[in-house]
Formats: sequence, structure tokens, C-alpha cells
Amino acid sequence: MIQPFTPEPIRFVAEDGTPVQPLPERFTPDVLRELHGLMLQAREFDRKLITLLRQGRTTFYAQSSGMEATQVGLARSIRVGHDWVWPYYRDHTLGLAMGVPMDELISQCLGTNSDTCRGRQMPHHFAARRQNFVSISSSIASQVPPAAGNAMAQKYLGVDEITVCTFGDGATSEGDWHAGMNMAGAAQAPALFVCENNQWAISTSIREQTASETIHIKARAYGMPGYYVDGNDIIAVMEVCAHAAGQVRAGHGPALVECLTYRVGSHSNADADAEKHYRTREEVDAWLARDPITRLEKLLEHLGHPVSAEERAALIARTHREVDEQVLRAEATGQPDWRIMFEDVYADLPDHLRQQEAFLRAEQSAGQGGRA
Amino acid sequence: MTATQDRPEMTPMTSGRTINLIQAVTEAIAEEMERDSRVVLFGEDVGARGGVFMATAGLQERFGKHRVFDTPLSEASIVGAAVGMAVRGLRPIAEIQFADYMGPGFDQIISQAAKIRYRSGGQFTAPMVIRTPSGGGVKGGHHHSQSPESYYTHTPGLKVVMPSTPYDAKGLLKAALRGEDPVIYFEPKRLYRAAKGQVPDHDYTVKLGEAAIRREGSDLSLIGYGGVMPDLEKAADALGAEGVSVEVIDLRSLVPWDRDRVLTSVQKTGRAVLVSEAPRISNFMGEVAYVIQEQAFDFLTAPVGQVAGFDTPYPYVQDKVYLPGANRIVAACVQALNY
Ligand SMILES: Cc1ncc(C[n+]2csc(CCOP(=O)(O)OP(=O)(O)O)c2C)c(N)n1
Repeated sequence: MIQPFTPEPIRFVAEDGTPVQPLPERFTPDVLRELHGLMLQAREFDRKLITLLRQGRTTFYAQSSGMEATQVGLARSIRVGHDWVWPYYRDHTLGLAMGVPMDELISQCLGTNSDTCRGRQMPHHFAARRQNFVSISSSIASQVPPAAGNAMAQKYLGVDEITVCTFGDGATSEGDWHAGMNMAGAAQAPALFVCENNQWAISTSIREQTASETIHIKARAYGMPGYYVDGNDIIAVMEVCAHAAGQVRAGHGPALVECLTYRVGSHSNADADAEKHYRTREEVDAWLARDPITRLEKLLEHLGHPVSAEERAALIARTHREVDEQVLRAEATGQPDWRIMFEDVYADLPDHLRQQEAFLRAEQSAGQGGRA
Repeated sequence: MTATQDRPEMTPMTSGRTINLIQAVTEAIAEEMERDSRVVLFGEDVGARGGVFMATAGLQERFGKHRVFDTPLSEASIVGAAVGMAVRGLRPIAEIQFADYMGPGFDQIISQAAKIRYRSGGQFTAPMVIRTPSGGGVKGGHHHSQSPESYYTHTPGLKVVMPSTPYDAKGLLKAALRGEDPVIYFEPKRLYRAAKGQVPDHDYTVKLGEAAIRREGSDLSLIGYGGVMPDLEKAADALGAEGVSVEVIDLRSLVPWDRDRVLTSVQKTGRAVLVSEAPRISNFMGEVAYVIQEQAFDFLTAPVGQVAGFDTPYPYVQDKVYLPGANRIVAACVQALNY
């Protein structure tokens, strides 16, 4: 039985891959292997995107290496395309595991014509209508009040959907976070809040972020259960998220899940020197030892269904090939035309924008770029 | 009020060094912290990390964690706490990581910082500086490229400045810190390393509210501030090559702004083109244009021209098309000249 407000993070599998409590039946070796595949794919996606960054083919990337169990586990705990998700910018692994096509993620990162968001946002800020994966805003925690509203609408409409809202540990300091949590609590809206506590907000550690011992206990103040889970144990994440989502869906009001995890890489490419400035190699190494992918591999080995080196290599090669193909395909669609600037500002093009568009058309056809 | 020689930036420096704009910011903070123990600095990642642009690099080591510190990720807390500290006698410098993220602190800026002097009959004041990188040209998309200065120029009680040279960056920041009012200090991030220039070795300030004449001219006044200034210079060069004499004015300070200098210039040239990269509607330059037509209407030989950003959210891919560059500025000048 999953309980809120546990003093220690809930876990099913120890760091060395041995179960610490009986594994629920649904985690058959096949299911575990599939989860492993998803996590590995996400890890390699990160690796490839960082290469693209180094090649100057994209300009920003926020990796989620180390956080795969949290994001894949969450994706596997909700009804994709039925529930609604208000994600934050580090959630591409969540997106991938929810079935957002890789070409959509890549096109958005490259800002090509194939980008469904039309090259307007910086890289790594997706939106996917089919998965109800709502557009990502860079502004920290600004998705939390709208997520509360999304859930209030679901309650009003009487549908059995829930709203999932994710954020980092840093986000829980913003006023918007508290406003959204309080609103959802007061409205008893079907919202599942998930904190991907990777312990750092750029260079600010969780200790400097809050005097509160954990994030999940803050749920108490908003009248909802707070669950504490080992975010590097995918079985634990899925058990806790599925339980919390079930409670939320059953009409018991919102819930908060804190997944304790770690981003092993830098915050973003703008911060490639994390170790030099604000954290120690020892700390990173200690968390590498808790790696979610390795942990699942060890569990599979323990269960007598090891992932062979060949299988692993094949999976990695397949992901690399797929990313390479999608990149070429996306790049071949070219860059969006300047006209996209004026579309989607409003439902209709107002007069002043029509004039500005005409101005730019004249300038462009005269071959004079704005910053030539 | 017209002689340019009385302006400190025009006086030849006896001794000085060439630095870039971000170094100027760091030096100003360090020197003021040295000079005045009431000055404290805080924000997201300003400490060990030295700021995401490294504007505060080394300051925590030098002045200690009690004077230079990281805060929780909350702009409302950062700005609001700065107000409280200022009311209680400190001189806080609050860094907002990107101007785009002043939003969560907006209420604290406009309801507290801007109004505490007025609503308390002057019994309480909040002398403080909010520093923040702003503007585009860094491929940041709309959350890392906006120019929100007009939200703040529209709010009585705030002073608003934006330097474009290392000299001004240092002098304005020092003046802001020595002043008695809350100042929003925008740092044009694309000039952080691109803008290099001389600063004197001695202590100096640049008074808020005085524009700088970057070059004198007689045919047209080209007026801007912040990140667009190098483009104004380029445009003036291009027009100069065609025999047009352009006067280039850098406002440096938007509230208060140097009406005298602008009006004197326009009265001389008869033409004005105003440049900023913020969206056009309710752009601060609309105020400048209004004052020019109100106060110098009889001197104008052409309508006041304006080059601004488009009224769209700042686009990622079209970064370069969005920003006004020298060509667009030249075109606006030619239109005014041919009117
Ligand atoms: C309102 C706002 N302030 C500042 C920033 C700059 N910023 C981007 S990411 C970040 C740290 C976020 O940390 P956290 O919420 O823990 O998420 P993580 O990146 O660790 O996953 C900051 C300060 C921002 N994007 N939005």
C-alpha cells in the first residue's frame, strides 16, 4: 500500500539491483525490458542532441540524463492523449515516452519548417497536441496555475481526465507554484503535481532553495497528499505515480509527488562547467552510482533476464541512426519563412500587423535584411 | 545645455583602460561594495556561479556570502526582499537573471519599490537597483530576448536606464547605487562582450537623465539606446558616406530622459529618427516622438521616424529579421531626408 508523507523515499529496488520489497506482478521481464529500452533511448537522444549542439546545428539543450526513471515512469502512469500534461523545459524524455514522435522533438530543436511550433520558441520547448502535451514556457513555474485551471475545467466538464504538471525543485520557490498548488487544493481539482527534484536549480542547491526538509511535505499546507519517491527507481516511480493518479482520478483532489533524482550533466549548454563552479565530482559520482538505467539492468540480471551487450549496443545504434535520419529529414525542410512571425499572434491578423508584414515583405524583396 | 565638452564622456581621459560592458558592470559593483558597506548583491546564481553571464564572477569570494548570495528561485522574493532591505537602510542590488523573468517580480516592482516613497509621504524610501540583462540578438527566443523597458518607464516612481558603452555602464550603475530611488538597470546582453571602450582609472559617475551625443551632425538626429546603438553608428557611417551629416544620440536613461538635449538636436537638424528594438505599440520612443512634435513642431521638416521591433512575440528563428539593423535604420533616415 502506497502511503503519503513517508520519511524516506519509497523504493522497490536497491542501488545494486536487488528488490527491497516484492515487485508488483505487472512488472514482467518484458515490461521491464521495454522500460529499459525507453530509458536508454532517451539517454542516447540526449547524447546525440549534445553533439548537434556542439556542431552548432541547434543552440540550446537541457539534458535529462540521470532523470529517465522519473520521466519515463511518469509517462507510463497516466493515460496518454487522454490526460493533460503541463510540462517544463527538461521534459523531452517525458515527451518521448508519451509517444511524441522523435521527428517532432528534433524539428522543434532545430527550428525547421517541420517544427509544429513553427520555429518561434527556443530549442527544447515542445508542444504536442495529440498527446495533450501543452506548450512549454521557459518562465519557471508559470505553468502551475494554468495546470490548476486545466484541472478545474476537467472537474467542471465532468470528464475522467486528470492534469499532470511537472517542475523542478527550484520552481517550488516561485509564487506561481504556491498560487497554483493552493488553487488546485482549494478547488479539489484533479491535478497531479510532480516535482522532478534533481537537487539543483542551475547552481543553487536544494539546501539553499528552501529550509523545508523535503518538497513533498509542502503538500500538507495545500491540503493534498504528498508522496516521496526514489526517482531513480522506475518501478517505484510508476507505483507511486499510478497510485496518486488513481486517487486524483477518483475525485479525491490533487496530489503532489516528489521524485528524488539527479541531473548528472550540466543545467544546459550555457552551464557546461557545473563541476568547476558549484558542485563536486564526488557528488556527481555518488549519483552516477544510483543511475536508473544501470539499476534496472542490474535488476534484470538479478531476475535472470539480463540485457545482453549486443542488445544494448543494437538499441543504442538504432537510436543514433534514428536521430541522424530525423535530423537530416528535418533540416531538409528548411527554415521557416519570415512570414511565420506574424501568424498566430492573434487568431486574425490585425491591421497593424498586416502593415508590419507588408513593410517586411517590401524590405525582404528589396534584399535588405533587418540586421545586414 | 548644448555644449558637448562639458560631458564627462567627451573629456579626454588622462589614464584609463579598455574593458567590455560586462566588466564595467562587475567593476562598478565591486567598487561600490568596497566604498559602501550597505551595498549587498543577490539573485539567482550570482554567487559561486558568478551569474549566468558571469557579471558577478569573483564577487562572492571577495566580499563574502553575507554580502553576495544566491536566493531561492523567486523574482517576487528577490525584488520584494530588496525593497525591505532598502527600507531598512541597505543598498541592495537585485539581479534578475533575464529581463524576461521580471514578470514574477512585477507586482513587487510596481506596487512596492515604485510606490513606497509616494504613498508614505516620503517617510519610507527604497533606494535599490534591479539589474537585468535584456534585449535580443542572442538566439534566445521570446523568453530570453525581450525588451520590457516600457512596462517600467510607464510606472511612476521608477528610474530606468540602459547603457550601451562600458563607460556608461559603470558610471550609471554607480550613480544609480548612490541615488535615493529604485532604478531598473537594463543591460543589453548582446553588447556584454561586444561593446568595448575606455573607462578612467579614477572614480566617476554618469548622472541619470543625461543623454550622450555620440557624434554631432546637422541633417538628422538619430536617437536610440541600449543594444541598437552600434547599428545607429553603422547607419550614420553609411549615410555619412553619402554626404549626410547625422547626429547620433544615446539616451542612456529613459526615466528621466534628456528632453533638452534631444530637443536642441532636433531643432538643429529638423529631422528625427527614433530607434529601439522593443515592440512598437506603447514603445517608450512613442513618448519621445510625442514630445518632439509638441515642443519642436515648427522645426520639423519631416515626420518623426520610428524604427522598432514588430508587434509580435520575439521569434526564435527570425531573430535577425526581427531586430532593426543598420539597413532598416538607414531606410527610415532616407525616408525622413526625402520627405
Ligand atoms: C521565472 C524564471 N526565473 C529564472 C529563470 C532562469 N532559469 C532557467 S532554469 C533555472 C533553474 C531551474 O531549476 P529547477 O526548477 O530546479 O529545474 P531544473 O532545471 O533543475 O530541472 C533558472 C533559474 C527562468 N527560466 N524563469
